[in-house]
Amino acid sequence: MSRVIVASVGYTKVGDHWDKSILDLAVEASKKALKPHPNIKPDTIIVGNMFSSQSARQEHLGALLASALNLVGTPAFKVEAACASGGVAFNVGYHLVRSGEAASVLVVGVEKMRDLDVAETSLALTMAESAEYTQFIGATFLSLNAMLARLYQETYNVTRDELSAFPVIAHQNAATAEHAQFRKAISVEDVSRSPLVSDPLRLLDCAPIGDGAAAVLLTSDKLVEEDDEVEVLSSKISTNVFSLYERDDMLTFSATKEAARKAFSEAGIGVEDVDVLEIHDAFSVTAALSVEAMGFSKPGEGAKDASAGVYSLKGRYPALTFGGLKGRGNPAGATGLYQIAELWLQLKGRGGLNQVEDCRIGLAQNIGGVDTTSVVTVLARR
Amino acid sequence: MAISYWRRRDRYYRLLGNKCTNCSSEYYPPVYICRRCGSESLVDVEMPKTGQIVTYTVLREVMAGFEGQQPLVLGIIRLDNGVKVLGQIVDTPPEALKIGSRVKMVFRKIREEGEAGQIYYGYKFTILQGKTTF
Amino acid sequence: MKMPKDVAIAGYGVYIPRYRLPAAEVSRIWRAGEEAPPTKKAVAALDEDSTTMAVEAARKAVEMAEAKELGAVFVGTESKPYAVKPTSVIVAQALAQHKVLASDLEFACKAGTEALQLIIALIGSGMIESGLAIGVDTAQGRPGDELEFTAGSAAAAYVLSKRNSKSIAIVEGASSYVSDTTDFWRRGGQKYPRHLSRFTGEPAYFHHIQSAVKNLFDEYGYKPSDFKYAIFHQPNPRFPVEVALRLGFKFEQIKPALVNPYIGNPYAANSLLGLALLLEEAAPNELLLVCSFGSGAGSDALSIRVLDGIVEKVSKVGNRVKDMLRDAVDLDYATYAKFRGKILI
Repeated sequence: MSRVIVASVGYTKVGDHWDKSILDLAVEASKKALKPHPNIKPDTIIVGNMFSSQSARQEHLGALLASALNLVGTPAFKVEAACASGGVAFNVGYHLVRSGEAASVLVVGVEKMRDLDVAETSLALTMAESAEYTQFIGATFLSLNAMLARLYQETYNVTRDELSAFPVIAHQNAATAEHAQFRKAISVEDVSRSPLVSDPLRLLDCAPIGDGAAAVLLTSDKLVEEDDEVEVLSSKISTNVFSLYERDDMLTFSATKEAARKAFSEAGIGVEDVDVLEIHDAFSVTAALSVEAMGFSKPGEGAKDASAGVYSLKGRYPALTFGGLKGRGNPAGATGLYQIAELWLQLKGRGGLNQVEDCRIGLAQNIGGVDTTSVVTVLARR
Repeated sequence: MAISYWRRRDRYYRLLGNKCTNCSSEYYPPVYICRRCGSESLVDVEMPKTGQIVTYTVLREVMAGFEGQQPLVLGIIRLDNGVKVLGQIVDTPPEALKIGSRVKMVFRKIREEGEAGQIYYGYKFTILQGKTTF
Repeated sequence: MKMPKDVAIAGYGVYIPRYRLPAAEVSRIWRAGEEAPPTKKAVAALDEDSTTMAVEAARKAVEMAEAKELGAVFVGTESKPYAVKPTSVIVAQALAQHKVLASDLEFACKAGTEALQLIIALIGSGMIESGLAIGVDTAQGRPGDELEFTAGSAAAAYVLSKRNSKSIAIVEGASSYVSDTTDFWRRGGQKYPRHLSRFTGEPAYFHHIQSAVKNLFDEYGYKPSDFKYAIFHQPNPRFPVEVALRLGFKFEQIKPALVNPYIGNPYAANSLLGLALLLEEAAPNELLLVCSFGSGAGSDALSIRVLDGIVEKVSKVGNRVKDMLRDAVDLDYATYAKFRGKILI
């Protein structure tokens, strides 16, 4: 077994890239990731993406990117797990290097969402849920999370302002993050004043639609030698009963819980050892349920802890340090790789105004569907 | 869509799920393997048509295909056999839309493929108010 | 006609949509708000159509009849969602019935009573054991036309089977009268019907109902006082009262089933819904008269004997038709136009 290093990262800004295609974005991020190590040609290319078939009528993204990067002959394929596509693609790349099968793997997450109109994007995102029973009756991914938010608030007596804490943290950090989609802080009043999109969720509870690509070059420790290397300690995936409403306990993100348990176990760490978190804040309520499932907060207290400052940049568990899904953005299949890239920046001390002091261990949690797939990754600075 | 709808129409029209003959667990949507005991011995069974609201939302941004139907009221309903199903809640006065309200299943149009395409029917829910059922 | 003596109504179900359009709203938009009668009509919601209402009514009828199998499903309607594809097949599927003779019938507002008689004939001939007859419509009135005040939506379904101790009522006598009279019509491909206003009165409505009832009376030797209750097709509040008086009935006999002011005219469901109202008032052994009228034109006059089974069946009905009349929400004209697809998109 090799030790696996995150050798370099590359990413585009997240936003409305009207002038860039899905391949343009993927190539841009890939080149940035490959540039610091010009002598390394990846043994495998993995593309994480959720719905290129809808947004671009394009599949076969692995070979498409390999060919575009002039890496003809390189094994390449796409990995899809809804919004966890990026994290899961990373997981596969990690295991390829770890097993010794590959000495280096380029993992690229990319999504073009803006080429579809909002109603079509909504449908595309809801492919993460049942076509026959969720999509059929007109329930969107947003509506499921809204129903979850209502249940969460009712069950644990969570106030509107407490629920707004994660979006506020996200925007606070995104304001000083160069690659973030939204560079403006918001207040809890702003969240309360934003229009209802699916009550109780308001516009500012929800991660935006945007385009972007993020790439990570993974290598074995024999290929790259440097100080302060960022090593992958573990990456684990778990899945849940498919649709939210099919679960006995809708308020426990059991896929995240299990993935985190396995990731902590393999990494030989506990919750208290984590210095920086990139969690899946697709909606305010998902951020809260994610930290609860992983054990950073007790059940029902995720939003309250966020409100109390636990997850702020200077808090006990700094989260969403460059804005998370809400502030940095959520190009679905790319998000998981943005999370890795951001942890890499933090662990390498390149966080700039967003730097978390003395961080040695970082955790990324990326989900698809409403915690239907969860991938939890632990990185450490050696 | 027309064919995938046709394939499941009994499921949509009659809330037809399935039941494990080994442990009596019931499911909607139907399962391939019992989640409770692992048995593959499953038979089709209609779900009860009444239940109560577990959670709900009023969706203002609908997906493609549902243009003109916003806002959509959606809910997760716990039917009288304990099975939770997702469905639209229709014709319900706002004050009656709350967690715990009792609802019953109704047969409604889900959507149409435009003026010339097929019409898709299925189940929705509406509030039970005393003797009055709409 | 000679009616089989061993076929009876086993169950019925009525569905009326929740929404109402007050006549005042139609007047506000199309008659410069001039004084309108305090009447309303039932309006199907955006996600309802003749098929959905037929299924709702059918389910109630099947439940009341405790019917396990049906040999035929006939739906009388002039607002089929598909011009080609029977509504009856969708009703059958929703009831998990496949070994059925299924079809849709059209004869304007009398297609429901026709469906009823055809099912009776199929059972009486021994071809089937039990069957389902439905009258349903989401009646369309041209915006601004006088019919828009009354063209309403509802469904009424009847399960018929071999007569037994649980039977509700039997159609004792029936007589139909038709003539080629084009008082109200809709050409293929047209969205709205047309009519000849005052001509829909004497030569159409009155002539056909009076003829059918007279023929029924002649054939069976009935007189008005034989009947506990009677109801005639209700296109507006006045006509059924007028024709009842002409035929020698008293107002008390028709009063229980007069519903036009509350729900308007649900076309093919009209007379079957009227019958349901009477069944919910009547006692065993009483005789009821129902006479439908369908433009085009024709009338079905039916004499219906109430049986012992009515007491138990009606006592179990959660929501009677007269309760449904008032459980309603008023709409404004714009919402009604949106619901009924009258807005050009």
